[in-house]
Amino acid sequence: MSTTMGELPAFQPADYKSDLKPVWCAGCGDFGALASLHRAMAKLQLEPWNTVVISGIGCSSRLPGYVSTFGFNGVHGRALTLASGVKLARPELTVVAVGGDGDGIAIGGNHFLHAARRNLDVAYFMMDNEVYGLTKGQAAPTTPSGDKTKSTLWGNPEAAVDPCELAISFGATWVARGFSGDPKMLVDLMVAAIEHPGFAFLNVMSPCVTWRGDEQFKMLKAKLAFLPPTHDRTDRTAAFRYTRETDVLTTGVLYEVRQPSLVERLEEVRKKAHEVGGLATTADILEQLAPAI
Amino acid sequence: MATKDVTITVVGSGGDGVVTLGELIAQVAAHEGLNVIKTEAYGPQIRGGESSCTVRVASSRIYSQGAAVDVLVVFSWNDYKRFRGEISVAPGAVILGEASEEPPSAEDLGVIGGDDLTFLQVPFAELSKTATGAPGSKNVVALGILGGLLGLPTEKLQRALARKFGRKKAAVLEAVGRAFQSGLEFAESRRKTFESRRLDYEPGPSRLLLSGNEAAAIGALHAGCRFFAGYPITPSSEILHFLGEWMPRAGGAFLQTEDELAAIGACIGASFAGVKSMTATSGPGLSLMIEMIGLASMAEVPVVIIDVQRGGPSTGNPTKSEQSDLLQSLFGTHGDAPKAVLACSDVEDCFHATVEAFNIAEEFQIPVLVLSDQAVGQRKETITSADMRHEVRDRRKPTEEELEEYERYRDTPTGVSPMSVPGMKKGMYQTNGLEHGEDGRPNSLYLTHETMNAKRYRKMWPIRDRYHSFRCFGPTRAEVGILCWGSSAGPVQEAVAAANARGESVAAFVPQMLYPFPKRDFERFAESVDELLIVELSYTAQFYKYLRTFLDLPAGRTHVFKRSGGKDLTAAEVSDEIEKVRARTARVEVAG
Repeated sequence: MSTTMGELPAFQPADYKSDLKPVWCAGCGDFGALASLHRAMAKLQLEPWNTVVISGIGCSSRLPGYVSTFGFNGVHGRALTLASGVKLARPELTVVAVGGDGDGIAIGGNHFLHAARRNLDVAYFMMDNEVYGLTKGQAAPTTPSGDKTKSTLWGNPEAAVDPCELAISFGATWVARGFSGDPKMLVDLMVAAIEHPGFAFLNVMSPCVTWRGDEQFKMLKAKLAFLPPTHDRTDRTAAFRYTRETDVLTTGVLYEVRQPSLVERLEEVRKKAHEVGGLATTADILEQLAPAI
Repeated sequence: MATKDVTITVVGSGGDGVVTLGELIAQVAAHEGLNVIKTEAYGPQIRGGESSCTVRVASSRIYSQGAAVDVLVVFSWNDYKRFRGEISVAPGAVILGEASEEPPSAEDLGVIGGDDLTFLQVPFAELSKTATGAPGSKNVVALGILGGLLGLPTEKLQRALARKFGRKKAAVLEAVGRAFQSGLEFAESRRKTFESRRLDYEPGPSRLLLSGNEAAAIGALHAGCRFFAGYPITPSSEILHFLGEWMPRAGGAFLQTEDELAAIGACIGASFAGVKSMTATSGPGLSLMIEMIGLASMAEVPVVIIDVQRGGPSTGNPTKSEQSDLLQSLFGTHGDAPKAVLACSDVEDCFHATVEAFNIAEEFQIPVLVLSDQAVGQRKETITSADMRHEVRDRRKPTEEELEEYERYRDTPTGVSPMSVPGMKKGMYQTNGLEHGEDGRPNSLYLTHETMNAKRYRKMWPIRDRYHSFRCFGPTRAEVGILCWGSSAGPVQEAVAAANARGESVAAFVPQMLYPFPKRDFERFAESVDELLIVELSYTAQFYKYLRTFLDLPAGRTHVFKRSGGKDLTAAEVSDEIEKVRARTARVEVAG
């Protein structure tokens, strides 16, 4: 919904804010992500009642409660499964899935890959703090190798994964990285993600002050970099260059292409099926199933 | 002398066309207005390997696959041996064996009633070769023989054959026609031998031949289901196939997901968005879905789950039936998670139970499980389309009044709260798998948990009162009363009818609602019988155990007949058990 020049927008960022106080720790990166989402929604003038924010479990998965739209705080790892159902059942709704890196890459990894592969018309914001926050500080699939956490006291023996790399590999058509400490850019990224027809994946680096300390925030800020203006978003190989980075953290839209979304493809399927004949009544189906003699 | 009820089994390897043969006979018989039940059995590999197809055809209504085979066609005795202990041959049966194979010993046949058998070596492969130049049309030769033997109309068999091979070249069709003709001629040359197996019937209006899985899928569409998500699993995949074809035609959405977790999740999401949703699976898939069935209970989202049971645990017996998902369905979810569980006893039931499941789910905002099994899900059975009618009730929309100061989980006297859907301006809410207050917001207070548990379980009472569906067979007072559920009902019904015909006083009670259980109806039944016999296909007698969680089964007069699945229950087995109970020698103790 857009407004004409000179008119005051119908919805202000505050209109998307619920009166529930976040349970997050002071200094949590998720506050930045939440505020950016309120502003992005206002920029898009989304009708709150036609918007659904869906999450799994984790600190960041509490977010739907802090947004004044329809919301679904589901079970661990399954946000994208719920989002698939909502979007395919009601394609006219705006569906935003949110959650953490553990929720989306560990327990929910399979759904993440397949939502990307299907080009599901959902914007997915992964607040990545490289650790399990809610369960008090265990290693996540995104925790750098060698790091000490509650569950890796001798240093993390496993390699970390880059969610953006995964998303591009599996066919996501819009992939970006943002930083909760750079809300201006984050708002723009969220707006573009929601507007993108197809699966839009936004990896929001969102520091955890409690389990990763002030160090994480400082380090992310120090590593912050931006895509060069020459970067070709439609170039898959170029996009991979900005994944698995160690010394820098490049933010911006790494990859963007336009391909038929799942909703569009299912509409095509319905059209093909209707050419054969629509469903009128149960009797019609039964008639078609009569013995082929 | 002809017969009114004949059971034919064909055994061969994958590629012998065993299933096509059975399908053609069944279709023609259905078209003649006969009653048909057709089943298939495979080895564990699902594709390739040995397969068998059994078709029972009768002039009056039948309720189970025949207990013993009257006509046995064997293309390969090696394949036959792989079904050892699973195919019983009736006394006086006609056995047609491939002539190029060494005939089996009497022991190999595992035959009952040996002397009466008519054993014929039939040159299926040779006749096929003569007609078509290749041995591959053995099944068409057999179709000619069986069609002639049963006395099914030749022109209908030919039309069915032409439809089946319609896309092939004219030369192929002609060759197939010759193979069929040579089979017919063979039957004609043995007319006397086959006389007793000739069907005695009056042709009637054509019937539909449907599988339980198809009937369930039709039930879903009939109920207004417009979202299906599922993951392939034997023996439920036919539901996925059917809805993959028909859901888009109905204007709905169909999604084959990456796993069962995604399937149930997508269904919950779609239903939250206001669209009736269903998934279908089998035991292992249900195990994966269980967590989110709890989410549907907690978030009070209507959803229907069909479980076409197979042998378990683990991968178990994927192609065989069992009734051992009962306790998982009833109690699998962690926490106190209200849900309803229905069972289907036959193909028509799969339709009705699915529609009823939607009605209950949508009215009471709970997950509803429909327990089917391989035996009813994959068998094909004749039904009349007039029977495929069932009242459909839709989800109630919140009134304007309810949307003023809307609370999604308002603690109402019935426990059912007004459910808004996205798009309703005044109905916005956040739903939650976390315990929540009436507004849907997370709330972990003890008092909230207690209140909301009570609210959610209050919904079960009206279900108990209004949906106490069950079936009874036999007299109102009986010496032996059988209690069974699901696919056991057919063989039990036939065994009860046979006992009654012998003048024995036997009745049966079959609940269609498993949870909440029609307790008062059952208690009246239990009081009306002297001895109670529980019949089920679960090694640990899950049904018996479930009943004991809320019923005092009459001490000293309760008997249990249970065994593993893997072989469908037969009326003969039930009859034997009835005799044991009457002679007071039935088993009572239950292992495990």
